[in-house]
Amino acid sequence: MRVRDLMLVGGVGLGGTAMMIGRAATPPGATISGKVTFTGTPPKMKPIDMAKEPFCARLHAAAPVLTENVTTGPGDALRWVLVYVSAGDQGSAPATETVRLDQKGCQYIPHVLVVQPNQPLDIYNDDSTSHNIHPLAKVNAEWNKSQPIGAPPIHAKWESPEFIPVKCNVHPWMHGWHLVLTTSHYAVTGEDGAFRLQGLPPGKYTITAWQEQFGTQSQDVTVTGSETKSVSFVFKATPY
Amino acid sequence: MRSHTRWLAVVSGWGVLLCAAGGGAAPARAQESHIGGMTGHAAAAKPLYERYCAGCHGDEGDARGENAQWIDPKPRDFTMAVFKCRSTPTGTLPTDADLFDAVTRGFVTTNMPPWVALTPGNRADLVAYIKTFSPKWKTGHAGTPITIPPEPALSIESMRHGRDLFQKMECWKCHGTSGHGDGPSAATLTDNKDLPIHPYDFSSGSRFMCGVTNRDLYKIFMTGLDGTPMPSFADDIKPADGWDLVHFLRTLQPLDTPEARMWKAWLATHAQELKPIGPPGTGQ
Amino acid sequence: MRVRITRRGGTAQMSWLLSAAVTSGCLAAALALSGGRSKAYTAYSLAVHKASAIPAFARKYGLRCSACHTVWPELNAFGQRFKDNGYQLGNERDSPMWQSPAYWPIAMRTTPQWHLESTTHQITDAAPAGKTLSQTGFDLSGVDFLLLGTLHKNITFGLVPTLDADGTTGLEAAFVRFDNLGQSPWANLKVGKFELDNLLSEKRFTWLSNNGGFLYAYHYLPSGSANNFGFGDNQIGAEFSGHSFNSYTRYSVALLTTDDGEPGLPGGKSMDAMFTLSQAFAPGGGLGPQRVGVFGYLGHRPTTFETVVGAPIPGTGAGNKSFYRIGATAQLWLGNLELLPLVSHAQDDAALGPGPEKPTWNNALLEAHYVATPRFMVQGRYELTRMSTQGDPATPQTLGDADAFALGFRYYPFMISRDGMALHGEFAMTRTTGTAPLSGDGSGVDPADPATKVWSRSLLLAFDFAF
Repeated sequence: MRVRDLMLVGGVGLGGTAMMIGRAATPPGATISGKVTFTGTPPKMKPIDMAKEPFCARLHAAAPVLTENVTTGPGDALRWVLVYVSAGDQGSAPATETVRLDQKGCQYIPHVLVVQPNQPLDIYNDDSTSHNIHPLAKVNAEWNKSQPIGAPPIHAKWESPEFIPVKCNVHPWMHGWHLVLTTSHYAVTGEDGAFRLQGLPPGKYTITAWQEQFGTQSQDVTVTGSETKSVSFVFKATPY
Repeated sequence: MRSHTRWLAVVSGWGVLLCAAGGGAAPARAQESHIGGMTGHAAAAKPLYERYCAGCHGDEGDARGENAQWIDPKPRDFTMAVFKCRSTPTGTLPTDADLFDAVTRGFVTTNMPPWVALTPGNRADLVAYIKTFSPKWKTGHAGTPITIPPEPALSIESMRHGRDLFQKMECWKCHGTSGHGDGPSAATLTDNKDLPIHPYDFSSGSRFMCGVTNRDLYKIFMTGLDGTPMPSFADDIKPADGWDLVHFLRTLQPLDTPEARMWKAWLATHAQELKPIGPPGTGQ
Repeated sequence: MRVRITRRGGTAQMSWLLSAAVTSGCLAAALALSGGRSKAYTAYSLAVHKASAIPAFARKYGLRCSACHTVWPELNAFGQRFKDNGYQLGNERDSPMWQSPAYWPIAMRTTPQWHLESTTHQITDAAPAGKTLSQTGFDLSGVDFLLLGTLHKNITFGLVPTLDADGTTGLEAAFVRFDNLGQSPWANLKVGKFELDNLLSEKRFTWLSNNGGFLYAYHYLPSGSANNFGFGDNQIGAEFSGHSFNSYTRYSVALLTTDDGEPGLPGGKSMDAMFTLSQAFAPGGGLGPQRVGVFGYLGHRPTTFETVVGAPIPGTGAGNKSFYRIGATAQLWLGNLELLPLVSHAQDDAALGPGPEKPTWNNALLEAHYVATPRFMVQGRYELTRMSTQGDPATPQTLGDADAFALGFRYYPFMISRDGMALHGEFAMTRTTGTAPLSGDGSGVDPADPATKVWSRSLLLAFDFAF
């Protein structure tokens, strides 16, 4: 199995470790790494009341799940931030590995999922309840499919680059993102806010960080050889 | 008297009218619709759209007509190219005939009236025009209509199996255990523009939005109503089983249908054989 | 006030032909039927209450005027179906129960205007041989209060009180209609005072001027007739009607009191009957379907009345004599050009005047609308009326012949679903032989010589609005 798949599937369980996603484990070329943090006061993530879905409520009886739109970590780190090469990419081979999305405990795992155009995406229902998967695509085709208990995975793919919010209408608290990128140079920050873009050929790149509530920031970075450059993003957080 | 002058005025007046009639062609916009043997032309439909549609759907098809602010549910946003009533799978564009039927039928309980009085030619032109508002019609094609097997004979077994599907597919989560549109998730439903939307209340007895026949009802849950919380069950319900669900859903309506009659007669002596619909273990 | 163009005998050369009994009876009946109102001599009195463009519906349903009207107030196919369905869209939100309680089904329409009227050969005290009389200036129409809607799903009402610019009030329409009886669009029953099911509606006319704002076909009566019937006048009675789902096939039959819409049963106890039938087809790509229709009216008018101190007692009319009207009409579309032809044939019983023969006449008209955009149209009309048999054989064959011609435009600066305004321009001309024009312009007195051709002209610029 490729490193990337391991990362995606295991991402949540790894907790504080940054999820580094690249084409290979040790690719040649330059590396851009850094950390995404915030200043100010971020909104407090609220516990989700799943009482209307007893099956899921029981799963989280000990510790209620929090909303994830601004997830923070130690040292003012921001989690679930996409960092990617938004300009300057000299061409990425199309990705063919299947990406997996789980609906588990009435949550999308991962909360932020990245795929490339036409990359296979399998959606699983691990719960003993029905879900409907409703990606609110605008550039791509919007669809909405039911997935009852024990149903086989839904095979999906996205054709065009787009940041697609995904929801389940039956469980309105379920919210996630499908980020469709043409570049293969991207990372989603973990709880420590760290990211690492590897295997970049020499050149000038625009690196963009996207957070679902705070928007985007970009920086231009020029790399040569196999150097490692450090870049930081600081989002200004407001409580509302 | 000056009657010569008067008749001159008469003749020239008619001349002006006839010349104006001949010179009204608008520049062509190469977009067509095809419904049966009929071809609709978007170029012909701009004044029709302004006349009949733009007040709600907006000059740009973006659902921002001057009247849109007052109505609920909101008009369709043609720039998104997402349509409820289709014969095609979820996530695909509807066929021209689907759009034509929607214009003709209107949407019951909404502000969209049936435009059946317009000539078929006008309606075909409008369908072509609607398709100019989204680039999706240029890059993509309409989906392939789903295959609907012929409707089997009505039976209690069919309706009971349909009822099992209603439970298993958790239709009741939105539509309620007895179809009143009051399921546990009903209150929180929103459409693709984040506006509140209500599940269909079978007990209202009102017509289905996408047509009145059993076949129309079959299409609703097999294609989903794109843009709404109603998903497609095409991956989950076998084509033949779909008719069972149709037959059961008809019994939820307070209408005098063959399904309702048969179900009521059977229920009179067999009601205790049915397990309640709803979450497991709740007794409901 | 509706278009009231009842002709009353007043010409000296006619009256000697009538027997004394018939003359007095007819005049008394006519006076009773007309409520004793004087003839419309003033220029502003005609061009009102002819239209029902009802923004209350636009507000209720959120549709632009242009959805129901080719250009308001003329109905298009969608508006015709809406009306046939009892002012209901059929979206299960037609009952007023679904409306905000603040919604009130009322609309008003009026038309401030500048106009010019000119009529030749008018007899005055100073000019017994006749002269041209003209009027010009800024003027007002009356006001129509249009209260129409549903009382409940499939129960429709209409109420149209009117206020003339001179303060006279009237009740133009008042009816209730039971729609879709037995869930079928083929059965609807309307009772009260209402417009006849005229395919070419004079109430939803796009003409406003004194000489252009009515059809001779709908009001013409032979010189000296005691009849008072006009297709254009709203009648009191019951109408049973029906239509196909898309209203392309339509029919109606009506039973009407013989009073030409005057309340209080002033006439006799007989009944009038009317039928209409039309069928539309939808070939080609015109703005609307092609419709053809026929209509017929069989009426009665009393020729004698019980009297007291010489005055007729209302409702005691007897000696009912019949008259009939039959015709055919069409709505044809060539692209944006609409053609509205109408032909009709009419005959009155000889006892209704003015002589020993049954007066018979024919009418033909062609109206054309070029609807350049939903907000601009130009229009023209030519109409001719020809006597084929004079009631009084001694009168010239051409007496009463009429030609009417009109040209106009309507421009709607905006088109929304709340109200409507039109800038209206119109020029209309009539030529009547030996009689005053039906517009009543000038002195309204017939010329001395029955061969004289009287020309009457109207020029009108108006702001027509409804809200």
